[in-house]
Amino acid sequence: MIEGMNGISPGRRRLAIFLMLLGSGAAGQAAAPKRLKVGVTLHPYYSFVANIVRERADVVPLIAGDANPHNYQPQTEDIKRAMTLDALVVNGIGHDEWAFEIVKAAGRKGTLPLIYANASVALIPIGGDQGGAKVVNPHTFVSTTAAIQQVFEITHRLGAIDPDNAAAYRANAAAYTARLRALRAEFMVRFANLDLSSFRCATMHAGYDYLMQEFGLSVTAVIEPRHGVTPTARQLANTIDVIKKANIRVLFTEKYFALGLGKAIEQATGVKVYALSHITDGPYTADRFEVEMRENLNTLATAIESTRP
Amino acid sequence: MTVVRRISGQPETLAIFCTVLVLLGSLAGYVLTRPANPGRPPLLGWQVGSFDGLGPADQAIHGALLSAAEEITWFNNDTGGWITLEEAERMRLPPFYHDVFWKTNGEVRWQLILPGAHHGTPATASPNAVFEGTKGQGATVYYGSAGRARAQGAYLLVIGHAHAGAMWTNQATIWIHRDAHAPYPDIVKAEALVGQGWRQVIAYNGASEVERLKGTP
Repeated sequence: MIEGMNGISPGRRRLAIFLMLLGSGAAGQAAAPKRLKVGVTLHPYYSFVANIVRERADVVPLIAGDANPHNYQPQTEDIKRAMTLDALVVNGIGHDEWAFEIVKAAGRKGTLPLIYANASVALIPIGGDQGGAKVVNPHTFVSTTAAIQQVFEITHRLGAIDPDNAAAYRANAAAYTARLRALRAEFMVRFANLDLSSFRCATMHAGYDYLMQEFGLSVTAVIEPRHGVTPTARQLANTIDVIKKANIRVLFTEKYFALGLGKAIEQATGVKVYALSHITDGPYTADRFEVEMRENLNTLATAIESTRP
Repeated sequence: MTVVRRISGQPETLAIFCTVLVLLGSLAGYVLTRPANPGRPPLLGWQVGSFDGLGPADQAIHGALLSAAEEITWFNNDTGGWITLEEAERMRLPPFYHDVFWKTNGEVRWQLILPGAHHGTPATASPNAVFEGTKGQGATVYYGSAGRARAQGAYLLVIGHAHAGAMWTNQATIWIHRDAHAPYPDIVKAEALVGQGWRQVIAYNGASEVERLKGTP
């Protein structure tokens, strides 16, 4: 018997008990920690965040998996999605400028916490000749060491937003980064038997300086004069000249781009053409980054092996 | 006879004039007194930028040290100890791990200098010995020298001291010396390092680039 209910009719008593139970249920729900919805702009960030939060939060891609992030035009669905997010992980240095338009259109500018994945990553310039200028390479996610740094950064920021889960996020991040290092080490063993000193390469897209840096390699020439810009006939002729003079024997094209230009350069210079991925297409999955990085490392090793005398 | 005076509109004109004057005055006051956007402070003579002040090998090692510093700090916060070079090898932690990155970036010889010790830790130091060392005061330093890559320097990863049991470590700075064989400095405070030719590496990171592009950190 509940105290204080003596003298109340049985009907009213039942109603009161029902209301109390309803109230306590609502209170219980209110006390349950909120499950974060973390938005991401690029595929690698989906993998990073999915491995950091695991089952403790939802990871929401801001745009469709098959959309090209290089020239993306925001859609209504993206804006609706942005309205529901608790945080958004962005590149912020040239690879997802459309995200800021989406956030603004969703009325979330200033209220949606933005996590700049690269905030603590030391940036490096795009390789090759950039007309004497040093241009920041925004493709920090095509590497393992810089990726690990981004996982740390995201983990810090998510922990600050969701302190109840901060320790779990950190433990998950530690396990994930150990796995990324193991992947890197696996290929280091394969690379250890290769002579890297004379390896010269060109890339179609300026996306691989961080990847090359992992192995003490560098990019000698980049075909695209700027991010996502097709070279003019004169620029292409100049680059072909550089490839010939620098004895470049390998050209890395893009897995998800058309191969037409690569084939033309192959015919003009005799370079061997291989395709790398900068992990910005296809379905969003937790293991996507590892799968594509493994492919990239495998391709890189095969390309270097192919230049052996 | 009632005289109806012509409406001149003078008071309204005066009011509008005064309002415009006040608005202009406020605007001028704001423009003159607003805080100037300080931007990023310029590098000092004893600092060097990671983006355009370092060669390829130094740049690669700096990037790897930044990431390693994070891991070392986490490890210290969790265990109170420091990642030894043996553990770094087991963890495959660049730039200490002897892999292709290490080889192509000059095969730098790394030493761990524990707080209060300020001398090279023997390669055989046990984790317990390392843990004991952390109880002292002073910075923990990973010192890299004798690199053989072209135009390579010597390196210091200096992790600020923590008061055992009362504070945690959360600050690391990276220093570089033009001479790959620069000896280990006895004192790792900034003034002493600068005096011995060491320069602090200021990372040009994503936050710097966002600030440049968007004007906000």
